[in-house]
Amino acid sequence: MRNLWLLLQRNAFALAFIALMAVSLSVLMRHNGAVRSSWFIRTGGLNASVEQQRLQWRSYLHLAEENIALAEENAALRAQLLSMEMNAEWQPDSLRGWDVRRGMLIKGPDGHPHTQCLAAPGGDGGIEVGMGVLSGGMAFGTVEEVGEAHCRILPLVHAATYWSCRIRRGGPVVSIGWNGMSVDRMELVDVPRYVEANPGDSIFTSGYDLRLPADVLMGTVLDSRRTSGADFISVSVRPAVDFLSVRHLEFIQALPDSERIEMAQPPAP
Amino acid sequence: MTLPRLVLMVFLQALILRDVSPLGQWTQPQWALWALLLIPPQAGPFIKLIAGFGMGLGLDLAMGTYGQHMVAGTVLGGLLPSLHRLMAPREGYEVNDRPTLKDMGSSWLLGFTLLCALIYHLALMVVTEWYWHLFPAALFPALTSAAFTTLCCLMTHLMVYSPDRRKATS
Repeated sequence: MRNLWLLLQRNAFALAFIALMAVSLSVLMRHNGAVRSSWFIRTGGLNASVEQQRLQWRSYLHLAEENIALAEENAALRAQLLSMEMNAEWQPDSLRGWDVRRGMLIKGPDGHPHTQCLAAPGGDGGIEVGMGVLSGGMAFGTVEEVGEAHCRILPLVHAATYWSCRIRRGGPVVSIGWNGMSVDRMELVDVPRYVEANPGDSIFTSGYDLRLPADVLMGTVLDSRRTSGADFISVSVRPAVDFLSVRHLEFIQALPDSERIEMAQPPAP
Repeated sequence: MTLPRLVLMVFLQALILRDVSPLGQWTQPQWALWALLLIPPQAGPFIKLIAGFGMGLGLDLAMGTYGQHMVAGTVLGGLLPSLHRLMAPREGYEVNDRPTLKDMGSSWLLGFTLLCALIYHLALMVVTEWYWHLFPAALFPALTSAAFTTLCCLMTHLMVYSPDRRKATS
């Protein structure tokens, strides 16, 4: 016992170092647990209010930069508006087993989180539930319900659904969703921190959700934010389609006998 | 004096100075290191270790980083006694030597600060990035940030222990 005590005394500094490292690493490893820790809970509210004040001052001091960014965004939007007539239409690819039918959008997204769209034609025009919908060759949504002359479309900008997509062509598969705020901005979700998503990267459909064919353009990465210590990164995406001004649609239909049609149908009650 | 200085620098860094980063991730200074490095070389190793851990804990609580600064601070605090021994003059430290420009000279201060900043930033890089394949991309920003931290620490040092003030007091 005495020898043990002497050993501990002799290596007290190393033991203290190891103990403090263990405490630090345990807080670091149990990242979620740390949030529940009473220390961090007590300081969290104070931090948030201080951070809010700090951000207000920071944004006030960065007004000039924000103005420049807004001016650039404005210029990009004007350029997009001017080039809208030059958008290439999506061409059916028989090798992938997809066919296309044209339609018109009657009621488009209005910016509300759960608005669905109305389009023509419906069942008379060969539209079926589960068909993918494009606009100008870019992803728009999927057919949810079909009447005789009209159909109801679930657009990409619907807050209750997520879509499977890829970052860059052939890149990692993640999900994209809309938070119901602005139709100009969608968010990639569950993007691991080791995935690279740089501003300007294109987002394509993956084809895995059986609603849209693969490799259809969905949008462009606006920015990606890597929060210190977080396991996932936040990626904002500008949709390729201008949802507020869409008129012409292309309905994508899997060619007959494809199992995709069968699997895209809602399950029998 | 060390404790109030540490607390003050932790709060200053968390509230104001963390935004002083002219080149983004390439220059992310750790101002609180300046207060930690002012611990006298003659102080006991436990004091240095606890001070490093405390500084990291304070930064984590104030910045919401959950353990990253604690690990880096503990690593640096644990290595401080060895660093002081490594950087000791040939005849050893005088009883009332302080790690200041006046007592230790500019080359000692620069080398010691840079070494400590490198250790701190590399430890911080490891716990922040965590994945091996992310290290190469983070290594260069960590090195430049360490250099910037050194610059910031020396600037703070010159402001607090300005040569003019020394002349006035002597």
